[in-house]
Amino acid sequence: MNRKILAAGSIAAVAALTLAGCSGSTDAGESADPDAPITLTLSGWSLDTTPEFQTLADAFHEENPNVTIELKEYDAAEYNTLVTADLAAGSGPDIITQKEVKYVTTFQEGGQLLDVSDVKLPDGIGGAESYTVDGTAYAVPYRQDSWVLFYDKDLFDAAGVAYPDGSWTWDDYAAAAKALTTDTSKGAYLHRWQSTVQGFANAQTGTSVLDGDYSNLKQYYDNTLALQDAGYQVDFNTSTANQLTYQGEFGTQKAAMMLMGTWYTATLIAQQASGDANDFEWGIAPAPQLDAKTAGTDNTPVTFGDPTGFGINANIDSAKVDAAKKFLEFAASEEGAQALAAIGITPALTNDAVVDTYFSVDGAPSDDLSKFAWSTHEVLPENPTSSKTATIQGILGDLHTAVMSGSASIDDAIKTAEDRVKNEVG
Amino acid sequence: MTTTEATRRGTAPQQRPTPPRRRRSALRRRNALIGWSFILPNFIGFGFLTLLPVLILFYMAFTNWNVFGKADWVGIANFQRLLGDGSFHIAFWNTLYYSVMHIPLTIVVSLGLALLLNNKLRGVAFFRTAAFFPYITSIVAIAVVWNLLFSPDYGPINEILRAIGISSPPGWLTSSEWAMPAVVIVSTWRDMGYYMILFLAGLQTVPRELHEAARVDGANVWERFVNVTLPSLRPTMFFVTVMLTINSFKIFDLILVMTDGGPGQSTLVLSQFIYKKGFEESQFGYASAAAVALFFLCILVTIGQFLWNKKRSA
Repeated sequence: MNRKILAAGSIAAVAALTLAGCSGSTDAGESADPDAPITLTLSGWSLDTTPEFQTLADAFHEENPNVTIELKEYDAAEYNTLVTADLAAGSGPDIITQKEVKYVTTFQEGGQLLDVSDVKLPDGIGGAESYTVDGTAYAVPYRQDSWVLFYDKDLFDAAGVAYPDGSWTWDDYAAAAKALTTDTSKGAYLHRWQSTVQGFANAQTGTSVLDGDYSNLKQYYDNTLALQDAGYQVDFNTSTANQLTYQGEFGTQKAAMMLMGTWYTATLIAQQASGDANDFEWGIAPAPQLDAKTAGTDNTPVTFGDPTGFGINANIDSAKVDAAKKFLEFAASEEGAQALAAIGITPALTNDAVVDTYFSVDGAPSDDLSKFAWSTHEVLPENPTSSKTATIQGILGDLHTAVMSGSASIDDAIKTAEDRVKNEVG
Repeated sequence: MTTTEATRRGTAPQQRPTPPRRRRSALRRRNALIGWSFILPNFIGFGFLTLLPVLILFYMAFTNWNVFGKADWVGIANFQRLLGDGSFHIAFWNTLYYSVMHIPLTIVVSLGLALLLNNKLRGVAFFRTAAFFPYITSIVAIAVVWNLLFSPDYGPINEILRAIGISSPPGWLTSSEWAMPAVVIVSTWRDMGYYMILFLAGLQTVPRELHEAARVDGANVWERFVNVTLPSLRPTMFFVTVMLTINSFKIFDLILVMTDGGPGQSTLVLSQFIYKKGFEESQFGYASAAAVALFFLCILVTIGQFLWNKKRSA
């Protein structure tokens, strides 16, 4: 008798556990109603510190009251993996933010992006080519950051060094770093990312990472290692061991100069307002150039940067497609650009009106050179749009850590990288 | 029960000898049902979340799966590519290098700790707990702290080495020769508590009388250890070795947070190669093939260990 009760009880327990393990009720599909309000989901990251998504969502909702944009937050460091997982499971967002150009081909070849070639883009917008594959546009850029030189005017004054005037080459930059290094602060801070060296090396020599020839990297790495060895910037190993943040290094005035993307202006303004960063005068200048040909305010300095864009989920509800395309058009338009500039984001469209809005933000630098550096430059993509890019950038990332940590010479590392690209990418 | 039945049979031969066949198989069926109902909840989870994906993986290794539903059959192309892939070779040898260093070191350290703490002194519970702490600490916290400790110019470890006279201490995580030994050190420090517990449990099964007998026969501490403790510990030692081997081949999280395969590729291991190919380069079919390779490495070595153990205990 006891065994019977035991058996019955355990079977009941199994049944209960199995039912509990089943997921909750599935959502019933809503029938299409032309006048019904539409909700679009949009993927974003770090929503507390990245206000651009909510800004665009609110601005669009004001103009189109029947469309609501709901933000789906993803972890910033693992954004692409998480979005991929959601898309593969069929629960991806309606509007897929393209955080990195490296992954555009993954989504596009996986059939996850809708053809958006018919979305009208304003003239002069930058970054649209990064989203074009075989003549078809799969996403629309709303943001185009570029790399510039941030400099601390107070530290420059204290050391008696002249501010950058827009005509610097890398030699000028090195000389300034030397003059600016004191006991309490270094001349420059270079963050650990491979882009801080390779981005300039590739853009300014006109090399594409897809070519497989990386001899152009040698000069740039030699320059960087020289600065590191002389003590004018924190060395890579210390930066790694102590996990230094670029916001902290420049914001607390531990370095007088920093090469960084224009997205940092919004962060710096916010941190100076909140007290996380010191209160000091700063400005941005064009990045140092390879030689005098592209240097100076009469020329167009060459720098690098990738756009950020919005794509549409290919499996989106057909009733929502028009609203989604309207949102893409809005994000890329002048109105979207104005909304973004007002919060310190660098939009893909930077005409004079947008420049004025950007620099009228409280706390932004007001000098002409900053405006020039921000608006006038030739921005080459850091990541060419190709399915080979992710693998090649991984190989070059290994080159970066090997050379910057001092565990391999630049010549050996370049040879290894070139062999690996031939072997692994073909 | 059998004895009583036999006696009863012997004394009363006219009683029914054994239950009829139908009732015997009904009993067996009911026992099996009870057994299955206890295993089933866990097994369903295991089946759907682990077994099924692993079986699917074996299929995906022969395709060029792009995780979004396209999985065209490519036969053994992925495996041929693996054979020629320089990074795969590096990852393979790094994994072996890590395991060959990590396994004996961990066994020695954890067995030593277990022997030291296998007594009833006051406060021994505190030391046992302290030795176990690293195993339950967050891996990210471990990586951050050890990164600081290993800092070549400012870290305490190199300061101590310089103080005792080594003028150019190793670069640890910044040098391609010393990065893997550094990772092995941290990994041993982390695992020693867990395997110490296993060894402690095993040491409790060593019969005291054997030790007494050996002591009476005049064996010293070392001879007692080799001739009494170690042989009695063989089942535990076998279990620890198998678990350590499999976990060493699969090492991933510590490498990822400490060095991310660097500098260069000096600490790239197989699991990380799989992760990179799959999630960073979106080549899921190729990554599946690499995962199958790792699976066969683990299983071949484990089978070898089982055969060795069977031979030893025969």
